[in-house]
Amino acid sequence: MAAQPLLLELRNLAKAYPAGEEGKPLAVLRGITLGIAAGESIAIVGPSGSGKSTLLNLVGALDHPTSGEVLFHGRNLAGLDELALADFRSREIGFIFQSHLLLPQCTLWENVLLPTLACPGHKPVEPAEHRATRLLARVGLKDRANHRPGQLSGGERQRAAVVRALINSPKLLLADEPTGSLDRAGAQNLAQLLLELNQEEGVTLILITHALELAQRMGRILELVDGQLHPAQP
Amino acid sequence: MKARDLVFRSLVFYARTHAGVVLGAALASTILAGALVVGDSVRASLRRFADDRLGRVAFAMAGNERFFRAALADELAARLNLPVVAALQLPATATTAEATARANHVQLLGIPPDFWKLAGHPASFADLDTNTVLVNERLAGQLGLQPGGTLLLRTPKPSLLSREAPISPQEDASTALRLTVGAVLRDDQFGRFSLQANQVAPGNAFVSLAHLQARLELPGRANLLLVGAEPGQAIATNRVAEALHQAWQLADAQLELRTLPATGETELRTSRVFLEAPVANAVLEMPQARGILTYFVNELRCGSQSTPYSIVSALPPGAYPGGLADHEILVSQWLAEDLSAKPGDSLSLAYFVVGSRRQLEERQHTFTIRGVIPMTDPLADRQLMPDYPGLAKADHCRDWDAGFPIKLDRIRAKDEKYWQDYRGTPKAFITLGTGQQLWSNRFGNLTAVRFPAGAEATSRIEARVRESIRPAGVGMVMQPVREMAAAAATQGQDFGQLFLGFSFFLVLAALILMGLLFQFGVEQRLAEAGTLLALGFTPGRVRRLFLLEAGVLVGLGSLLGVPAGCLYGRAMIYGLTHLWQSAVGTPSLFYHAAYPTLLAGAAAGAAVAWASAWWTLRKQFQRPVQELIARGAELEPAGPPLRQKTSPEMLLATFALVGGSLVMGAGALGTDYAAPVFFLAGALFLAGGLALAGLLLTAQATADGAAHPGLAGIALRNAARRRQRSLATLGLLACGSFLIVAVSVNRLDASRQADQRRSGTGGFALVAETSLPVVHDLNTPAGLEFYGLDATALAGGSAVQCRVREGDDASCLNLNRAQVPRFLGVPPEALQSRGAFSFATVARGLPADQPWRLLSRAGPGEPVPVIGDAASIKWAMGRSVGDLLTFLDERGRPFQARIVAALANSILQGCLVMAETDFIQLFPSETGCRFFLVDTPPAQAAPVSATLTRAFRDVGMEVTSASRRLDAFNAVQNTYLSTFQLLGGLGLVLGSVGVALVVLRNVHERRSELALMVAMGFRVRAISRLVLWEHSYLLLGGLGVGTLSAAAAVLPALRSPGGGLPYVPLLILLAAVVSHGLLWTWAVVRVALHRPLLAALRNE
Repeated sequence: MAAQPLLLELRNLAKAYPAGEEGKPLAVLRGITLGIAAGESIAIVGPSGSGKSTLLNLVGALDHPTSGEVLFHGRNLAGLDELALADFRSREIGFIFQSHLLLPQCTLWENVLLPTLACPGHKPVEPAEHRATRLLARVGLKDRANHRPGQLSGGERQRAAVVRALINSPKLLLADEPTGSLDRAGAQNLAQLLLELNQEEGVTLILITHALELAQRMGRILELVDGQLHPAQP
Repeated sequence: MKARDLVFRSLVFYARTHAGVVLGAALASTILAGALVVGDSVRASLRRFADDRLGRVAFAMAGNERFFRAALADELAARLNLPVVAALQLPATATTAEATARANHVQLLGIPPDFWKLAGHPASFADLDTNTVLVNERLAGQLGLQPGGTLLLRTPKPSLLSREAPISPQEDASTALRLTVGAVLRDDQFGRFSLQANQVAPGNAFVSLAHLQARLELPGRANLLLVGAEPGQAIATNRVAEALHQAWQLADAQLELRTLPATGETELRTSRVFLEAPVANAVLEMPQARGILTYFVNELRCGSQSTPYSIVSALPPGAYPGGLADHEILVSQWLAEDLSAKPGDSLSLAYFVVGSRRQLEERQHTFTIRGVIPMTDPLADRQLMPDYPGLAKADHCRDWDAGFPIKLDRIRAKDEKYWQDYRGTPKAFITLGTGQQLWSNRFGNLTAVRFPAGAEATSRIEARVRESIRPAGVGMVMQPVREMAAAAATQGQDFGQLFLGFSFFLVLAALILMGLLFQFGVEQRLAEAGTLLALGFTPGRVRRLFLLEAGVLVGLGSLLGVPAGCLYGRAMIYGLTHLWQSAVGTPSLFYHAAYPTLLAGAAAGAAVAWASAWWTLRKQFQRPVQELIARGAELEPAGPPLRQKTSPEMLLATFALVGGSLVMGAGALGTDYAAPVFFLAGALFLAGGLALAGLLLTAQATADGAAHPGLAGIALRNAARRRQRSLATLGLLACGSFLIVAVSVNRLDASRQADQRRSGTGGFALVAETSLPVVHDLNTPAGLEFYGLDATALAGGSAVQCRVREGDDASCLNLNRAQVPRFLGVPPEALQSRGAFSFATVARGLPADQPWRLLSRAGPGEPVPVIGDAASIKWAMGRSVGDLLTFLDERGRPFQARIVAALANSILQGCLVMAETDFIQLFPSETGCRFFLVDTPPAQAAPVSATLTRAFRDVGMEVTSASRRLDAFNAVQNTYLSTFQLLGGLGLVLGSVGVALVVLRNVHERRSELALMVAMGFRVRAISRLVLWEHSYLLLGGLGVGTLSAAAAVLPALRSPGGGLPYVPLLILLAAVVSHGLLWTWAVVRVALHRPLLAALRNE
């Protein structure tokens, strides 16, 4: 592969949690180094408690590493204050969680537009309402825009969460077990949607999953074992 | 999508959760708005009372015992172009015809027909005939009077010469009127007329001025001048005073200028016998004025010969052509013959001087006879004798009433003949200087001033006399009563602030409850907050969104609080006028709410409620986003160990020490600061106690597990799980219990140690007040005998007799701010020798060992020392010990008074006490005593009271037990405390509601873990016990913190005389509070665990 400029670079990234009074700190990530090019799709797998979500939170600027660096477009996230990090998240990152986390009091339309409130000064190329209409149509929820999350199925809610994650045209999409709450069919549909959007929107996708089937559909599979990231064995 | 859209959606979606927040905010606004409305209502009521009692009267001149011409009113009206009315105003007692009921302290008003044009509302009463009296509702109520009924009024017969003056007659002291009630006047019909600012109306009786003048032998005279003006019409006081100065005549000051036919001299004299000092001093400045002092002496003796009961004149040196030394005396021919005296002989003069309480002291002075003058000498002038009321009109010597016992057997036939031939012609003459030395008294030191014949025209002399004397100098002082009434009403006790203080803890409880409910809602949406943070919202932005929601909720709540505040205000006014009337003394307060007040209360409620929401949110959303998303409303993190993160709580806990220091210091500061110290100390102890509780909770949450934990231990751990929630519950309960306990300790009980000198009764058994003055000394057989009593009347006790200068009641029974308080004149030694009363404060720098003697400390020209009750000084007058006050004396001259000490909760509330000598100097024409502190053995109090009431009924004596009088004052504070306690009880109810909500919430959140315990084999009963213990710790902890804080904060009250801990009622109260709380908790636990728990596991 030709050397492409890296979208995301992890340099010797480590994360440890303070343990109890008698124990030593609990090291979850130990010196992870990784480069991710724009447009890539990566699956991170590993046993439960291996630190996959921790890694995702560090990449998404939801947490701070104990040591090491996270560089996004060459910019070290450690140098950003909380306001700048929030701005970074709203413009550059889209999150999809295992639980959809749609606001129950808002309609689908309002939920997908919610991230636009986080950066009111941002003027995207594609107007947010237009993008929302297009993406909802793309995921087959155009006619459900005025429905509330409580009126949708689990799969529909997750698809809405995907649209919400993409509304600000982020460069990086982070999905933490996005199919974990879905049945098999729903999981496959969602996985397909994510891959298609990865191609169509050109958004880099990092996905955490237990499902090997889903992982194998990604461009690269990495396995997190003992706090370190290795290419997964086939 | 806009932020407001998100806020709106959230408000609608979570409406049920938000309902509690709205109610909490509404409650806070209700209480705040309602408290302010109470203040508005009281102020409006006082303004109306002032309007009712004064009507259109803007200025008043109350002459008391000075009677001016009633025609002065018309002359003044012409100059001012304002309505002016002259009336008679006298103290009186009233009884029904059957003497079945009596009313003392009645205001008898003799009014002309145009009196009613000064009423605030048009009143149309016909000219009163001689047999008719109009009474007001208060008097009618006291005596059960109806139109057509009969009323007996008794009023003192005015004596132009004070009954305490020398040679003042004692007989004929009062006049009785038997009248038919013509109508009962309502307050708005001017029935409430009074010059004193008090929400309690006096008992008024209105009769025809002409009839009263005739009965009192005061033709054409009045002692009350009322100047009317339209409401809002501004009239300068000096304009009125100047008009009075232009209009008044000598006759208005009982002065008379006459030409003596025999000598052609012009003489200024007064029907008050003695020329007052301001008059004498002013007139003597005029050229050729000569002062004269003529006295009635008991005896003139030369050797073995004596002449009884004679007139002697003191004249200026110029009156004696041959001169006269101060030790010399000229005698008339008649006297010389009677005494067989000749020039060079010694002649002694015996005379009475009148001390306080009409104590007669006979003195003697010896002269050398300089010469003998014939009866035809110009000096032998019968006009030299002033018109002594008991002497001038007597036909015979035996008809004399000189105010002291005349031994009729000493009067000889020749004395009678002398009287017939020569009347009051002086029998001897001394120098004016010597005469003034012997006979000067507080009423004056001259009986006349003469101008030689041909010196000036009488009219010119009169004009110069009027010019040189200001009306105020002769007691004719115009007071701006409307202005004073407005000040009294607006500066009075601020009930708005009072009820805000009462409601403080209730508001706090409402806010804590609101915060608790708001926190429940926020916890429910932590995952939502985490989502927003993950989407790029900053924590501040998320917090602002929630605060925006809170703002809408508290705004809504505040709007609801406006009408609710009106209802609360109405309820409080109803309480004040029906249940707590002893605090306000009147059932006539009415509800009045101004829109700005309601809005201010609502805004204040919204502000504090919003602040409570802000406080709740301030530390929210600080946890990692992933934790918010993943765990939502689950366990609070335990946090770092105790030693690492307890600095704020440690700091707060140390405030308890500061609070304790304040409590200890309160004793040194004195009770001037007791109320704020109590509140501050209480608040600090509460805060410190809650901080300590927070530390304990944190310690529990982070401590290592026990080796074998029992249910009780686990319950304690559970109580510490939701630290903020648990603290809020503790705080709610602590506030309520603090209030209830502290209030019960602060109640005043007059009967406690009532017979002790240091108590509020001063150790006196009885307090008596009369409508009419008592001039005799009740501690002497002669004084008692005058009223038909023998020496055993006081059962071996004694009385401290006090002079009274009426003014505004400066006790807590008067809602108005006392502008000019009532003064008592008392001999300080009478109280100091008894060690009566205890003192709350003595002015800095003054000795505190014998405080009553501070009244006698001042030298000439220094401020007059006064002592008042601490409550009167602080609350009714808005002053402090050490303050310098300015008042007007009887002659309208300003004088300064310094508050040198304050009494602690005494029966002397309502007045300022000064030394009798100062009182006499400032108010010389205030005759006799009208306030009495009676010492008598407690077992004899009732019979002595009955004896005094019977004997002094004609002067309208009302006798009350001293402890009951103190009770009446204490009732005000105790009523306030009851209100405080009621509102605190409501706070406790809110606390119980808070406990219930916390129980329900905790059980709901932990259903799955409780279900797990069931699955493990725990019985539901054991789980119930666990939950009950867990919340009982909070209940008992909160009550404990509140009770202990209250106990520590009320130490000053316990130390004060009359203070003490009412153990039994307090223990009963505490037991009731604890039982109530436990019952609530048990009931709610049963409800919360009613549904099967295992279902929660299956749902997981």
